[in-house]
Amino acid sequence: MNVRPEFWLLLAVLAAASISCRFGGFWLMRFVRIGPRLDAALKATPVAVMVGIAAPAALHGAWPEWLALATVIIAMKWIRNDLVAAVAGVALLAGLRAL
Amino acid sequence: MSATGASGETRTTFSLAGFWRGMRASGPLGVSVFAYGIAFGLFAKSAQMSMAEALLMSGLVYSGSAQMAAVSAMGDGAIPSGMAAFAVVTTIILLNARYLLYGASLRGWLSQVSGPQAYATLAVLGDGNWALSMKRHAEGERDAGFVLGSGVIMFVPWLLGTAFGLLTAGAATNPRALGLDFMLVAFSTALAVGMFKGRTQMPVLLVAITASVIADRWLPSGWAVMSAGLSGGLAAWLLWKPEAGS
Repeated sequence: MNVRPEFWLLLAVLAAASISCRFGGFWLMRFVRIGPRLDAALKATPVAVMVGIAAPAALHGAWPEWLALATVIIAMKWIRNDLVAAVAGVALLAGLRAL
Repeated sequence: MSATGASGETRTTFSLAGFWRGMRASGPLGVSVFAYGIAFGLFAKSAQMSMAEALLMSGLVYSGSAQMAAVSAMGDGAIPSGMAAFAVVTTIILLNARYLLYGASLRGWLSQVSGPQAYATLAVLGDGNWALSMKRHAEGERDAGFVLGSGVIMFVPWLLGTAFGLLTAGAATNPRALGLDFMLVAFSTALAVGMFKGRTQMPVLLVAITASVIADRWLPSGWAVMSAGLSGGLAAWLLWKPEAGS
């Protein structure tokens, strides 16, 4: 269990950077009154982030990824269970990549 | 925000039942995080990091992309200092800036539990369980234990995967072959479909998609998600009308 002395310094700085992002947004909102407009903005953020994760991945992918995404969307509309839909898409992608 | 919360009737709680519910709900994400922990462990080994160093980094930084960036700066086993360290820190802040949004959006929920409970929950928060929690919150979940439980089931596999990767360095493990690199994307897509509120939300989504694609193309990695979240939120802020507020 050896840690190099210079590593501690680097780790402390990296951890501080990461943790200030994790805690910062929550903490800063202490000082902000959440009005209806800001509430609408914060409520829209999750779905915007989700498509922001998916869109570049779709762009970088090819037909196996596109088929997998289509499977996720159709499965979600049918079964209405996010985990089942996601796993179905991942399983299909793994199968297509194995071909 | 008052103690009763924006929606009135249902009180926020923090219970073990909610914790278990969160754990069960995000279990599959834990599997893919474990695989990514292995990838990080292998990478850490290649940069000649010790087990203690890799585990400390996984536990305290807890961000796959940011850790990969940090370790690639110490590829030859040397620890960056001075300007090189500054560059690594800047990268980590950029890659993790989206957590500012995540934390801000959780304010209404987590401000109703104790400080230690709220900050512990934020410490183990990940993209997947944040997204899952926000969806469940929109559906009426008010138990903040759900957020912690769904985070822990990803955080612990991250540590285990890191250790496993370091120990097994040499043997091939390929998360890509199992499609696990796609888990977060698939999961986000499913959640977005489930949360989609119909045509009125279309402008927000189009703005977010456009922003993410532009950022992905022309900005450093890590900006796509942040850009989508910020621009989508801004679009909703601009488009808000008094009668449309839900």
